[in-house]
Amino acid sequence: MEYDVKKEARKQYFAYFKIWFILAAVLLVVAIGFFVKSNMNKAEGRTNHSAPEQRVYDNADVLTDQEEADLEAYIALAEEHIRCDLVLVTISTPVEGPEIEGMGYRYTDWDRNMRDLADDFYDENGFGYNASFEGDGALLLDNWYEGQAGTWLSTSGRVYEEMGTIEINECLDDVYRYIESNPYQAYKEYVDYIANLLSPKKNMLAFMALIPGCLFISLVVALIFIAVKLHNKEGKVTVVPSTYTDGSAVYNVREDRFIRNHVSSRRIPRNTSSGGGGGGSHSRGGSHRSSSGASHGGGGRRR
Amino acid sequence: MIFKCKNCGGNVVYSPEHKQMHCPYCDSQESQERAMEECDKSFCPNCGGEITVEEHTSALQCKYCDHYIILNDRVEGEYLPKKIIPFKLSKEMVKKSLRERFKKATFAPTDFLSEVRLNSMVGEYVPFFMYDYDVNCTYNAEGIKVRTWTTGDVQHTETSYYDVIRDMNINYRDIPVDASVKMPDNVMDLLEPYNYGEFVEFKPEYMSGFTAEKYNMESDTVEFRASDKMAASASSILRSSVNGYSRLNERNKNFSIRNKVNNYNLLPTWKYLYTYNDKLYPFYVNGQTGKIVGSVPVSKTKVLAYGATLFVLLNVILIAGSYIITSLGII
Repeated sequence: MEYDVKKEARKQYFAYFKIWFILAAVLLVVAIGFFVKSNMNKAEGRTNHSAPEQRVYDNADVLTDQEEADLEAYIALAEEHIRCDLVLVTISTPVEGPEIEGMGYRYTDWDRNMRDLADDFYDENGFGYNASFEGDGALLLDNWYEGQAGTWLSTSGRVYEEMGTIEINECLDDVYRYIESNPYQAYKEYVDYIANLLSPKKNMLAFMALIPGCLFISLVVALIFIAVKLHNKEGKVTVVPSTYTDGSAVYNVREDRFIRNHVSSRRIPRNTSSGGGGGGSHSRGGSHRSSSGASHGGGGRRR
Repeated sequence: MIFKCKNCGGNVVYSPEHKQMHCPYCDSQESQERAMEECDKSFCPNCGGEITVEEHTSALQCKYCDHYIILNDRVEGEYLPKKIIPFKLSKEMVKKSLRERFKKATFAPTDFLSEVRLNSMVGEYVPFFMYDYDVNCTYNAEGIKVRTWTTGDVQHTETSYYDVIRDMNINYRDIPVDASVKMPDNVMDLLEPYNYGEFVEFKPEYMSGFTAEKYNMESDTVEFRASDKMAASASSILRSSVNGYSRLNERNKNFSIRNKVNNYNLLPTWKYLYTYNDKLYPFYVNGQTGKIVGSVPVSKTKVLAYGATLFVLLNVILIAGSYIITSLGII
């Protein structure tokens, strides 16, 4: 059989890039899968129909009717965008101290009782964009009771996954910036923070930001590959100075005679400098289960 | 002359695998006898086919009957080599080591390591002059040592001067220089060193199965290369005996050759002449140690195709990977 150079070249080429082709194909298929899935979700719409339509429960009456209506509309827009339920509850109720006796609280401290109130309200109403149990969503419980005022953010589903201690604190910071002067603006901040954090555009933007890096890395690697492969020397010198000597050198004279020396001195200019630094650490709290058994995350603080 | 097999009449050749004479026709060992001593350098003494004998050729293969012809007048008298290192590596062994060495040469033309091309390899004995030198070297230099240290805020620098004197005797044996016009000097230098322990007295039998040249450059013409090699080596050895100086100002260095001998010997090389895009890429392989010397040709098409493919595939992998990672919300 005659030697077919082109056929052989093709064979070598495919053999060389076999693993690369397979890897690229697999990743491409997975990426396309993700793409299709995210588009299907968008078309799907809400899957939990048992939750109430209402999102703003202004029991403490800190908002005007107009503000409540505006906030409902504002939340509705955000929900459609991020596919999570965002609930706001204001109360003016004691959650600690002697006043709470007989009110049915499980605990005696502010933190845990606020947490229970928030989690239970979310679970009992069956909130959650995709499911009524552990569905995607968040609930902001704002307590205006004199001396016990404070806010608790309860997270669930995807919101729980996305929000660690840092994010929860950031969200609460945003809320507290306005809470005393303009509660309506404060609650909008809560909606905005979560809407931004969970925005599907955020993933897309993060992805877009990586593309120039991908192009650059590929280019550099391809160029290095070519450079390495092109680097070929005719041959290394394998002769050493002693290759052709017969025995070692015989020294008739081998002398290093000291003649003279001198010493010079100079003063070294000195610099003084100082440095310092500091650091901190952050920790993230774990999740907990509410009385209904649903897993929530969250956090809160007093004003 | 041609070495004929006493048993079958075939052409007996020296076999590196068997390390003796071998008849490839009937598989006999050491069955050779000299025949057809005369050759008119125009026709094969065996089959009468036309042969091309170049000016310095001393052994060749007839392209019609494949017999190896050794030209008596070019291996005798003044052209009788003193010693020879017989081929230790056969064509098959060299093919294997070429394939091994260049298997990562991705951009080499596709047929570079093909059976057909590699089979064109020829084993050739190259004529060498080898020089023995007994040398006396004298050397004188000013050596300067600088030492610095610090006490408190003051830095001290001490500079010491020495008179460095060396007088050294050193002997060199068999510094090789090829005595062939057509062999590139730098390539021959790179093929070194040969293991001289395997030198044997010359016999024409070792040439059967290979091609060869008689020396075609005079010893006086090529000797400078040997003395240069000697001087470079002696300088390097001298220099290694001078240590610990920050600076050396050389005043005098002299090599005087007290005794000199030169010999004419043959050394084995495999030659693979690869032509690509009308350009010749010669490869030489040391027929004893297997050291390979030569630059692999580069196929520009392959560089482009492989570079572009890698670029595209890497992009697909990285971009698809980034999409997956961002979709999962890891970043």
